[in-house]
Amino acid sequence: MIATAVGSYPKIPNKPRPARLRNALNRFDRGQLRIEEIHEVEDEVTIEALQEQAEAGLDLVTDGLIRWNDEQTYLAQKLAGLSLNGLIRWFDSNMYYRQPVVEGPVAWREPITVRDYRFAVEHSAKPVKAVLTGPYTLARLSLDQHYGSVERLATAFAEALNQEARALQQAGATHIQFNEPAILHHKDDFRVFSAVCHRLVEGVTAEKGLYLYFGDVDGIYPQVLDLPVDLIGLDFCMGAANEQVLRRSPFTKKLGLGIVDARNSKLESAEQIAERIRALSGGLPPDQIHVSPSAGLEFLPREVAQEKLRRMAQAVRQAEGVLV
Amino acid sequence: MTKGLLTTTVGSFAKPDYLAEARTQFAAGKLSREELDKLERQATKEVIALQEEIGLDILVDGEMARGDMVAYFGEHLAGMRLGGLVRSYGNRYYHKPVIADEVKWGAPITLDLWKHAQSLTDKPVKGMLTGPYTIVEWSFDEFYGSRRDAVLAVAQAIRREAQELEKAGAVYIQIDEPALSTRKEDLAIAIEGMGAVTDGLKAKTITHVCYGDFASVFPGFLEMPVTQFDLEAANSNYDILDLFRERGFPEDKELALGVLDVHTHAVETLDEVRAGIKRALEVLPPERLYIDPDCGLKTRPWSEAAPKLKVMVDAVHQVRKELGIE
Repeated sequence: MIATAVGSYPKIPNKPRPARLRNALNRFDRGQLRIEEIHEVEDEVTIEALQEQAEAGLDLVTDGLIRWNDEQTYLAQKLAGLSLNGLIRWFDSNMYYRQPVVEGPVAWREPITVRDYRFAVEHSAKPVKAVLTGPYTLARLSLDQHYGSVERLATAFAEALNQEARALQQAGATHIQFNEPAILHHKDDFRVFSAVCHRLVEGVTAEKGLYLYFGDVDGIYPQVLDLPVDLIGLDFCMGAANEQVLRRSPFTKKLGLGIVDARNSKLESAEQIAERIRALSGGLPPDQIHVSPSAGLEFLPREVAQEKLRRMAQAVRQAEGVLV
Repeated sequence: MTKGLLTTTVGSFAKPDYLAEARTQFAAGKLSREELDKLERQATKEVIALQEEIGLDILVDGEMARGDMVAYFGEHLAGMRLGGLVRSYGNRYYHKPVIADEVKWGAPITLDLWKHAQSLTDKPVKGMLTGPYTIVEWSFDEFYGSRRDAVLAVAQAIRREAQELEKAGAVYIQIDEPALSTRKEDLAIAIEGMGAVTDGLKAKTITHVCYGDFASVFPGFLEMPVTQFDLEAANSNYDILDLFRERGFPEDKELALGVLDVHTHAVETLDEVRAGIKRALEVLPPERLYIDPDCGLKTRPWSEAAPKLKVMVDAVHQVRKELGIE
């Protein structure tokens, strides 16, 4: 059984620890730091995020998306055909993203996250998974002034991200995760989503994860099991109905159990989490289960996020002992 | 005396530099509570003078003691505390409040500065509160576990504060719910919470919504148990008026129309504002129409806010003259 994270990790700690990235960016805004110095601080904070995840006991970590302002722009700003617009609320959260505007054909020009992936692997005590926002979510959260249909735009994003995934694979990535919360708000689009996923993974042999959070898969289950990925991560906090839905049909892929609430600071006990793992694992063998928070951890203060991961990892070790 | 088109603002004004600096010093433990209080009262006096000079009809205290509209209540209501820093975008972070226990009103929160502001002017000063749905939505709920339970509990505490303001003489009490349009399926909870706050109050009650997709909570939003809706319009080409023209606006409600975009440095022209007011007059009569900026002015320094407000007041005078009500 694998204890893992879904993506983002809080960028700054609370007092008395210094908020280094925040302070550095403030100084950068005042013209007192160069961009190269910001990148150095981002690297240092990435190392912190990797260490804190390892200390918490995770088996598979992410780089914490420390360099990402939000889950759209970090990818969009390096793809051809896009510019960035004003701030929009990210789903029903209190976080915002800058809306990508599709002004022309979307195209991959150069690796976007490969250097980040290599850096993380080099500085991590644990295996690292690469994380990308999926093409359907990118398409849904962009303002399309070129393609005229979500399907065409999402397909274009899929072609671009396919090149990114292949570049990651070439750099040695063995786990690549795509985050696709938007499909849970547009379940009628599942046929399009499925076609887009197939285009996305062409030639990608690394283990492919698909994380669907901020809702449930009622209405697209068990169809999601036909998607060309190895693991599907589900949100059992905002998608409480997932528990019932999964009873309808055996889960035939690796299951990502998003059971620690990434959007509420209330701490679950290790016993509660272990109990949830037992209740939800549905007869799957432990090696088919990844346990994680329900979504990225940037909704939480850093210390709360790490404590949640610590308890979750303890719970995984407890549940593993029982299920083996 | 005019028979309509009363002018006002949405609530907040930018803090003068000396107060912003003092707040930083206070947070670092280098300034006493008493010294900060003194400066907050000084700034309140200045913001009242500014509004009188511009010629607004209904004033606000400018919220000189508040950082964030939810965190301020999070700090002062029993059962709530400020949590750690959470990022909203870019390099912007805020201390997200935590509902850690049963939420209760312990002592007046906004009353003292409101009283101070009202003592400085003969014009009415609005009481300004944050609505229960927004307080819950922008906090971590570690206690109730159900959004409705949390909203209703916070509503009782906010109701108590509203009663204190009314007792002290407030004739307008605004209860803002900017989080409302985040989750339209929660509209019923927000309405129930607002009802718990406003039930039995004699003051005129107002609620303000901005930046969400108002159309997404229309027309259900009009069920909100308040006297007046305060809505942004300038920032969205007054589209909201088309909605009211086509689908109607309740006869027993008032509208405060936002005619100044608070997110741009540019000062609106007199003609733009006048045209906006006239469009609104096609929907409802001047007695039920109030004129104000789209949102709180805390994003604009006074040097930018004042010229905008002056244009607004001038436009209102012109329209009143045309209507023969001034």
